Amino acid sequence: MTPPATHATPTVLASTARIFDLSLGQMLWSRRSVFLAFLVGGPVLLAAGIRVVSAADRLGLPQINGARVGGAALFGTMIWLLYVRVIVPVLGVFYGTSLVADEVDDKTITYLFTRPIPRAAVLFGKYLAYLVCTVLLVLPSVVFVYFLVAPIGGTIGEAFPTLVADLGMLAVGLTAYGAVFAWVGARMRRPLVVGLVFTFGWEPVVLVVPGYLKRLTVAYYLQALVPHAMPRDSPVSVLLQVFSGGPSVPTSLASLAAIAVVALWWAGRSVEKQEYVLEQ
Amino acid sequence: MPIHDQGYRRYAGTRAPRGRAWTVITRAGMRTFFGRRAFLGLLLLSWSQFFVRTVQIYAAANLPQAAFFAPTPETFRRFFSIQELFVFVMTVYVGAGLIANDRRANALQIYLSKPLTRVEYVFGKLAILMTLLLLITWVPAILLLIVQILFAGSFTFVRSNGYLLPAITLFSFVDVVTVSTTMLALSSLSNSSRYVGMLYAGVIFFSRALFNVLRFVTGASTLSWISFSVNLDQIGDVIFRLPPQYDTPWPVSLLTIVGLIVASAIVLERRVRGVEIVA
Repeated sequence: MTPPATHATPTVLASTARIFDLSLGQMLWSRRSVFLAFLVGGPVLLAAGIRVVSAADRLGLPQINGARVGGAALFGTMIWLLYVRVIVPVLGVFYGTSLVADEVDDKTITYLFTRPIPRAAVLFGKYLAYLVCTVLLVLPSVVFVYFLVAPIGGTIGEAFPTLVADLGMLAVGLTAYGAVFAWVGARMRRPLVVGLVFTFGWEPVVLVVPGYLKRLTVAYYLQALVPHAMPRDSPVSVLLQVFSGGPSVPTSLASLAAIAVVALWWAGRSVEKQEYVLEQ
Repeated sequence: MPIHDQGYRRYAGTRAPRGRAWTVITRAGMRTFFGRRAFLGLLLLSWSQFFVRTVQIYAAANLPQAAFFAPTPETFRRFFSIQELFVFVMTVYVGAGLIANDRRANALQIYLSKPLTRVEYVFGKLAILMTLLLLITWVPAILLLIVQILFAGSFTFVRSNGYLLPAITLFSFVDVVTVSTTMLALSSLSNSSRYVGMLYAGVIFFSRALFNVLRFVTGASTLSWISFSVNLDQIGDVIFRLPPQYDTPWPVSLLTIVGLIVASAIVLERRVRGVEIVA
């Protein structure tokens, strides 16, 4: 009689890599990609439209001291209003909360949890796939917008250093928001509602409240990394500028890294310990 | 337990009269939501502004030092603006799964194999969302008006602002109908309520962000009609007889809202079918 074969349990790292490989393809070619394409394609179309209209010199860009605001300022406004305030948080909520919840809804989480791999590796692998998927689609969109908008009333090279800073800032934002909502998705039954309330309820309200409360947001640290002046598009923005005095860049980076690591660790623990009840 | 009798038994219950079957869906839906503690918590939170405003009205009526809290027609308009956040959350919580969950469970075919028409099914689902949204918009606003009369001990405010009651009612219904039909149409497009919720959030916040960029570019707010929520703001200002916040003529905003409702109805007509025929 042959002795039973011994199987070494794969490490967390190897399991994560396997799940990442499996999830990346699923994420790129899924229904969600339509949503992602809509979100990242919108600014590019808008920038293309602005560029076409600007060629006919029919833009009413605001003037400061008699000089018309150029493409660099317009690019900064688009980064603030579209990417920092909407696209990055929305993608974080959407993908982050779906990492575990989708498997629970589809009743396929059992197949992953019965594999001989640590449960947390399932979440880590999916999180990495989310990060690669969103970063690979959002950052090129920003670059397209930059090349379409920056030459309006200026040169491409003028604002190039800020483009690099913007790309880094957005990648960091996707990392932090994704980790927070991965934890929310792993821990709660209705993660989407919680995520939307946090992003569009809690964060905007708390940011204008003086005191320490704003430190309990991701936006507080992320907005400190934006290399452009905040546009005064609403009374809230004006208030935000009044209460400005955000953290320094190193503090923000350290805080966002800490948020991402702690949230991911909690998410991993939740997946390891939580019992997911599948609806019959 | 063995089944001894496998014979057919006629349905012994009562059948809803023709055209009223939608009430069955609405009642069942309402019962489901009121049975959830999370929903009750959300409902309570949505009423928080009402409680704060009630204290303000009481203070204004009884303390001379707090006279600046006295309600004006603008107070009621602002009440609706603040409620928008709760309307959004409630719409996502209640509306996202209304049709999507039925599609996911293949329950649509079962529903439509009963003496229930497609229109009744859609109307029943719509009524769930509309009722719950009116519960956090129209009901507290009207109660605030009543509270004002009770605390002031006179009808002076209501009499001098006679348009407030119809304005509250009209704006509540425009708001709720627009939001509900849009959400229901989105819900019919997918099997995943989470995806529907995100689509709705995307429509609301992304369209507003696009408008803000265009406002910066053009230096005017003429293109405000592209934003879902701004159209409702514009109509709200007109209904409450306040100067509109944006340059877009209000008929354009109204037309956009009507277009959105019609588009949602077309989507619902195409998507809510008992049998899906794939070419």
